[in-house]
Amino acid sequence: MIYLDNAATTRPLSGAVAEAERYLTEEYFNPSARYHGGAEVSRMLSRARDFLLRAVADPADFELIFTSCGTEADNQAIFSAARRGNAVTTAGEHAAVFESYKTLKNRGVEPRFAPIRADGSVDADALVSLVDEKTTLVSVVHVNNETGAVNDIAAIAKRVKAKNPRAVFLSDGVQAFGKLPFRLTKEIDFYAVSAHKIGGIKGTGALIRRKGCTVLAPYVIGGGQESGMRSGTENTFGIAAFFHAAEEKFSSLRVDGERLKGYREQLWEMLDHSIFTRISPENGSPYILTVSAKGLRGEILQRELWDRGVAVGTGSACSSKKPFSRVIEACGYGEDTLYGVIRMSFSPATTEQEIRNAAQTINACARERKENV
Amino acid sequence: MEKVVIIRYAEIHLKGKNRGYFERVFSVNLEKALKGIRHELRRMSGRYLVAAFAEEDADEILSRVARVFGVHSYSLGYLVDNDMESLLAAAKLVCPQSGTFKVDTHRGDKKYPLTSMQLNAEVGAKLIEAFPALTVDVHAPQGYVYLDIRDGGKALVFGTFEEGANGMPVGTSGRGLLLISGGIDSPVAGYMMAKRGMNVEYLHFHSYPYTNEQAKDKVVSLARILSRYTGSNSLMTVSVTHIQEEIHKKCAAELNVTLLRRFMFRIAERLAKRTGAQCLITGESLGQVASQTIEGMTSSGAVVTLPVLRPLVGFDKEEIIVRAKKIGTFDTSVLPYEDCCTVFLPEFPAIKPKLSFIEEEEQKLDVESLVAEAIGTMERIGF
Repeated sequence: MIYLDNAATTRPLSGAVAEAERYLTEEYFNPSARYHGGAEVSRMLSRARDFLLRAVADPADFELIFTSCGTEADNQAIFSAARRGNAVTTAGEHAAVFESYKTLKNRGVEPRFAPIRADGSVDADALVSLVDEKTTLVSVVHVNNETGAVNDIAAIAKRVKAKNPRAVFLSDGVQAFGKLPFRLTKEIDFYAVSAHKIGGIKGTGALIRRKGCTVLAPYVIGGGQESGMRSGTENTFGIAAFFHAAEEKFSSLRVDGERLKGYREQLWEMLDHSIFTRISPENGSPYILTVSAKGLRGEILQRELWDRGVAVGTGSACSSKKPFSRVIEACGYGEDTLYGVIRMSFSPATTEQEIRNAAQTINACARERKENV
Repeated sequence: MEKVVIIRYAEIHLKGKNRGYFERVFSVNLEKALKGIRHELRRMSGRYLVAAFAEEDADEILSRVARVFGVHSYSLGYLVDNDMESLLAAAKLVCPQSGTFKVDTHRGDKKYPLTSMQLNAEVGAKLIEAFPALTVDVHAPQGYVYLDIRDGGKALVFGTFEEGANGMPVGTSGRGLLLISGGIDSPVAGYMMAKRGMNVEYLHFHSYPYTNEQAKDKVVSLARILSRYTGSNSLMTVSVTHIQEEIHKKCAAELNVTLLRRFMFRIAERLAKRTGAQCLITGESLGQVASQTIEGMTSSGAVVTLPVLRPLVGFDKEEIIVRAKKIGTFDTSVLPYEDCCTVFLPEFPAIKPKLSFIEEEEQKLDVESLVAEAIGTMERIGF
């Protein structure tokens, strides 16, 4: 199996699984317990928190709250920060943000969606023009999960704050954390991340918050864990795995990025350009290549590829009345392109040989499909 | 005194000389429905009794009995000796303790010393003595105490009648093959034939990779829900992918669906003969979609010799939905795993296809080998 759906989830690193197992079978103590075993687990949580935070931010200015996933982190920030007035975001957000924004109407908050460009990045001028003195929250995804386009969140946050210093700025960093080199700047208030996209296990995420930003309210109330911001016994094995995965990813982040960028371009070069159109930008995440096979159905191609040993993603699902991706549609593509979208996403474990074999299989599959339909 | 579930059966009593056969199948079905629960099933002239069960299983027994076709009504009550003291003891257990009530006696044993009226009066009076907050209202009482005096010195005492699934025992009306999709209609069609006593087998057509595995799993879930009524426990699936591709490539676009349905019927008939099914069952309802016009039904029916039963033919969608909800298939049917079959859907399907045109178009295909190939993809999924 050549697995090219790493943006959906990636295979947990064996070291991360070993760490998880240790905290499940040996160090299974409750970190709140007042004996040595509990204290040891609590120390691991501190080390993990510190490492994950330092990897992207200055711990003097930011803190990290563990959550059950990236979606929970996004939700907690959004529903804490969005107050009466309006909240601005982009048309290219992940559902965790986009769907949450849609429900803000019920809370008396007007959601505003800034358009995105053909590559999936936000039109920053349009976004900033939506911000006014009544804006309480602005959210911009760091890496568009469907196209790989990277938004310059530091610059955008700066412009937003210049226009309205009281607006809270959130970025969903799920596809960037552990993959792109960057540091959180003081204009960014919240940053949501997830473990299972970088080799950790599902059920673990975190919300990084700027200490000066006081709007956060707890979503889950109880024993007061995570400074009272996220109660519930900590997912110690998930956090241990997250810690391990992050250590591994951040240690080779730049090297991996350069190599995968090469693979991404190689894969694109090998794909049959008479069938496939490229959607991902060249300056986007090295981890994502999204293309469209015009006139074909991405979901069908995806199942055929699976049967031939290649797993790819697709923005589409034939379930809704509009069986294609909302985000790619917002990029401005027509129906013939929208239906045919497939997303190849990589991990540092992806090999050049896999890329070559995948390209051949994808081309062969698409050509046959063209003949049949 | 013994706690029992009293089961009265529906149309079986109409069946003259065949009555013994119907009753045998009915009791086998009841036993099947109660499998896994400790109990005894007894015959008692014109009734069945479920007895010797644990108190905590009573609710589960009632809900399973409710789904067995042939059950006209059922009650949770007591089997007692027919002396006054025993009758009264049971009556107190089923009687409301306040409000209005009425005692209603049925005397199966005509030799019983008291008449029905006398029993009503005597038991009623003693109940009022026991529960002073009770009053009698013979016209519109809030609660009932039913006394059913049986032969052999026994009586049944109960407070309610629950309506059963009615219909005929499954297995007494032959065997049919249901063409089941993931939609709302076909499970209801299967239910209705099972209700008339038919053993229902399931056949599902998919077009992987155009349709996905979740869509197939959904059909398995539907069949599993239906099997609580029908008794069958497996589903046949057949791939029609290649057939759809061939039709798409070679034939007039507006006939895509019509031609595909003819293939489905041919395949279904062959599989029906293999499994001993005597008819095909579909969820078609007249005029609901382009292929369900009388012309559409004629063209698909023309390729098979087995009868095609369409129990929903005269139903509106709303009526079908009401039934689907009652059966419990609706919530699964509306799960959003619609298939990608739309790839092959023509923009303007033929609403009144002419048989001569259909046959002409069909000659462009190697019908026999496509049917055989499809049957080769048959899988049986047990559940």
